[in-house]
Amino acid sequence: MNGVNISEDLYQILPLIVLWGAACVILMGDVILWKRSRGITAFLSLASCLVAMWLVLQRVVSGDNTSAFHDSILNDPLALITTIALLVTASLSILLAWSYLKNRGMNHGEYYVLLILSVTGAMLMASANDLIILFIGLEILSFSLYILAGFSRNEVKSQESSLKYFLLGAFASAFLLYGIAMIYGGTGSINFDVIAKEIQGATAPNPMLMIGIALLLVGLGFKAAVIPFHQWTPDVYEGAPTSVTAYMAGAAKIGAFAAILRVFNTLMPFHEFWVPAIYIIAVLTMVFGNLLAITQTNVKRMLAYSSIAHAGYLLVAVVSMVTSNVTAHDQAIEGALFYLFAYIFMTIGAFGVLVYLSSHDKDYQTFDDIRGLARRHPLPAYLMMFFMLSLGGIPPTMGFVGKWLIFIAAIHSGQVGLAIVMALVSVAAVYYYLKVVWMMCFEAPTKAPSDIPANGFPALLSVTFCAIATVIFGVLPDLMINITGLIR
Amino acid sequence: MPAVPTSYYLGLSGVLFTIGMIGVLIKRNPIVIFMCIELMLNAVNLSFIASGRHFGHMAGQMMVIFVMAIAAAEVAIGLGIIVAIFRTKETINIDEINLLKY
Repeated sequence: MNGVNISEDLYQILPLIVLWGAACVILMGDVILWKRSRGITAFLSLASCLVAMWLVLQRVVSGDNTSAFHDSILNDPLALITTIALLVTASLSILLAWSYLKNRGMNHGEYYVLLILSVTGAMLMASANDLIILFIGLEILSFSLYILAGFSRNEVKSQESSLKYFLLGAFASAFLLYGIAMIYGGTGSINFDVIAKEIQGATAPNPMLMIGIALLLVGLGFKAAVIPFHQWTPDVYEGAPTSVTAYMAGAAKIGAFAAILRVFNTLMPFHEFWVPAIYIIAVLTMVFGNLLAITQTNVKRMLAYSSIAHAGYLLVAVVSMVTSNVTAHDQAIEGALFYLFAYIFMTIGAFGVLVYLSSHDKDYQTFDDIRGLARRHPLPAYLMMFFMLSLGGIPPTMGFVGKWLIFIAAIHSGQVGLAIVMALVSVAAVYYYLKVVWMMCFEAPTKAPSDIPANGFPALLSVTFCAIATVIFGVLPDLMINITGLIR
Repeated sequence: MPAVPTSYYLGLSGVLFTIGMIGVLIKRNPIVIFMCIELMLNAVNLSFIASGRHFGHMAGQMMVIFVMAIAAAEVAIGLGIIVAIFRTKETINIDEINLLKY
């Protein structure tokens, strides 16, 4: 129980150590050893992510489930599964960036180092059993993302998105931190286990704890991009280089939702206090995320609003977690985890197609760019179609199964109203996803056909992997449910 | 000598946090906004220390060390971003940084 043995503690965070070590080695090697050969940098980053993933998978198989560093880090199945999702996101994003960075003239080795460091931050958030570890993880994730968003150094839009993300992000973390301080003041501890014990049997939080929970929700809601804390999302997603957007959309959301699931699981005794708040936020997020997406004329911006809407569906799972029925509780968490996997495959895939098509001087992003795409570049157009259908929740794709699982969980835990809202807005959402498909397949191209896209094999590999995963786990969801079911 | 009650410290921290928050909302210069965010973080530090003293354990003070380290890293990144945007745009007024909108 107590981490007396330091080597045992270090063994528990071995995947993190591997990634941190790799980041240091790559950062120095890129400058000193293999100057200019960014292929080696990308390859080593990918390899370190895969090694870390292997270590995590080993732990999943062996099923050891212990805490480290005096219970401040907990590698339970929830943490391990979200860690796998994060490492998949990182690996796919490294592949996406491989030739994109070179073509866009920003092929700096720091990109991969920052990407690895930010994924370690999100992994820390996922396995945090302690509010301060949660905060440190969030900041490691955010700091790397602030820099990555502004990575295109001579593009004003990228700089602007970085500045906006930074100022609003720092503002939101101040709220999160104040929330932590209030929870500490209200319970006398920052450890989730101790807090859970402290509030056992209580029905209403004391005022300090109440303010703390509210502020914590603001901070985490900002990271997860839920309405009304979403204003940064479309701007940052549009301005950041597309490969960064793909990564950010995946990693930040997984990290935030892993933390939300754990925090609100801990605060379960006070559910009467926080459920109404999350209920309202979930409805607002689903409705307005989808409505605002309809009017967009830029694919990146539209996908940003769609990612907000998807955060709303995930919040439905968080609300459904609150029930006396143990099966329904587990079902809700399983649904959320399945949906996170579905979300990363389809979102990274959709952004990945844009990365694949981007040219030397310009990101591929407006509706004019994709008009008639099926005639110019059939393969990426059809891949994009898969992702759009999956995002819209049309069977037999992963997006459909994910929505279905959350829908069922909501009904089982008695949140019928929320389930109905979710079903209705999902139907409305199909409109703007299909609009993209319509434009690609049935409208005449506004651009002359160009050569094969420049961003080559690695990006295509990553996008194809996403497409295959979207379809396979959509047809055979049991493969994935076997993994997410480990939380039981 | 009577000690200052913990609630006074917490009240002061709340006031400082609010001042910082208002500053973020009304100021138009990113550097000033950033200073206001630092004020918010330091207000939080005060409440950590006050609570830590109230409970008589070290956790509160340890957190402050972490928060200070994180705030220092934040300064490095924030100023870096502001310098980068000044180089491309020659202004850092928030109202003029408005390419991305609906």
